[in-house]
Amino acid sequence: MTVAVVLLTLLGSAWLLAVIEDWSATGRLRPAAPMLSGLAHLGRESLVPRKPDRLFFETAPVLLLVVTILGAGVLPLAPDLVIADLATGALFINAALAYVLVALIMAGWGPNGAYAMIGGWRFLGQLIAYAMLIVMPITAVAMRAESLVTTAIVGSQESLWNIVYQPLGFVLFIIAAMALAFRAPFDLPTAEGELAGGVDAEYTGMRLGVLRLARLLLVITLASATTVFYLGGWHGPLLPPWVWSLIKTLAVAALILLAGRHLPRIREADLMGWCWKLGIPLALLNIFVVGLQILVVP
Amino acid sequence: MITVLLLALVTGAILFGVGVYGALSQTNLVMIMMGVELILAGALVNLVAFWRFLHPESYSGQMFVLVVMTVMALEMAVGFGVAIARFRAKGSVEMEEAGDLKG
Amino acid sequence: MYAQAFFVAAFGLAAIGFGVAVFRTSSMVRSALALLFSQTAVGCMFLAMQTEFLGVLQIMMMATEMSIMTIFMVMFMMDPGGLGGMDMSHQKRFSIGAGLSAAGAAIAVALLADWGPITAEAPDAAMQTRELGIEMLGRSMLIFETAAVTILTAMIAATAVAIPAHTLADNGNKEVSE
Repeated sequence: MTVAVVLLTLLGSAWLLAVIEDWSATGRLRPAAPMLSGLAHLGRESLVPRKPDRLFFETAPVLLLVVTILGAGVLPLAPDLVIADLATGALFINAALAYVLVALIMAGWGPNGAYAMIGGWRFLGQLIAYAMLIVMPITAVAMRAESLVTTAIVGSQESLWNIVYQPLGFVLFIIAAMALAFRAPFDLPTAEGELAGGVDAEYTGMRLGVLRLARLLLVITLASATTVFYLGGWHGPLLPPWVWSLIKTLAVAALILLAGRHLPRIREADLMGWCWKLGIPLALLNIFVVGLQILVVP
Repeated sequence: MITVLLLALVTGAILFGVGVYGALSQTNLVMIMMGVELILAGALVNLVAFWRFLHPESYSGQMFVLVVMTVMALEMAVGFGVAIARFRAKGSVEMEEAGDLKG
Repeated sequence: MYAQAFFVAAFGLAAIGFGVAVFRTSSMVRSALALLFSQTAVGCMFLAMQTEFLGVLQIMMMATEMSIMTIFMVMFMMDPGGLGGMDMSHQKRFSIGAGLSAAGAAIAVALLADWGPITAEAPDAAMQTRELGIEMLGRSMLIFETAAVTILTAMIAATAVAIPAHTLADNGNKEVSE
């Protein structure tokens, strides 16, 4: 029962996000458009490139979808609305989202195409940049909550949201989340004007539908993780808890998309340089400052 | 009497054996390192099985597992550094050609 | 108990199957990703043996490490796609013998030794994480710090080895030696 509710909420948020993205791009509110375009993928011809690595070609979109659902499985929408309240929830999100890389490497190597392969290896470079930046802010959040359980992390923010308590961690986490979801300005793997679609290039028909749904769900999962870790999860004055979770998740997802529309794509070398030379010292500083705050402030 | 401990120990032993075969039979440095990863994975399975079924009250077992995982990552990193240097000097990382000291 | 035995055996077979596939396939990327899924199966074995933190840690670390190994395979191997059908092994009989005798010796010790009483209950996962943290920063602090210094040393060593060598050219400027 809980599983069904959470999954339906996930799909519903994905639909809302698609409608918002469509509205910001075309200026018209078309509620039925995401469903219709998803169904249209079923009707389109499904081309398979010449001599693909069939195992990887087929597995990559499905793996991406499974990974995002697994990641969403430990994120709570309300105090009792979580699929699996694991004792190492915050670490499990990381473990599940590490397989986004595996899925993109398979999607890059499988189709036996040059642009797809470059897109896949570019995501590996991006991972080396964002991997530390996504784990260290989670460490600081877990320090405050004194637990890795996601419901406990939300519970620890009852008095003060983490975005006020650890703003540096929030900034780093949002940047790393955008890089993980390969959304602009970090969309090197599927660089539209440059790589002819990159990792998405050789997928058509139903497989492309699954891939695009998985990308949308990945943004929603990461936005939900941001609300759980930094924005106080379900805490809020008047509305029921799950409505607050939904509102905050959609706000963060809209922020991620907005940043994408207004910032230029960042180069691989620049991304790695900034993340390693500036980002990691800042993340370590964040852990140190949060440690001081926990020990000093009652 | 087949206990879960025995199942885990036999799996660890077979992983170790496959890793030894790989480390000894491959000519390329990267494949040899994959064999070593399998050896260490076999050792990890044994360590966790011993912790869980024989001494779950003493966390030194889990500490040992963390140290072995760290060593796996580190030897891969340094090994790949050496592979890059060798590739730059010679153009290949085949171990058959690495038998001479000169050049 | 039976559920645990079933899952440990199933994931163990998966780990061994993927491990054997590493050396039997001729495509290099398939080989590296087979090793990745073998390590993931080992991580799932840890989860089945109720060490949740170690299992999640293994799954997370091995995904990243093996993907980096994949790109190194593509960089350094002669036939990454595997369509050429080359046999890249040597001293086959010796290595099969060594592998069989190593596995055989370990299995013999496992079956013949008396391991003592088997504990039925394990501590619960939240307690394990907490106790592991206390152990790591309390009694095993020296081990933790030594591991940290070793990581730093390995990082510096790997970077120093991988940077191309510089020589002084005739006009006194540093340039990369070819």
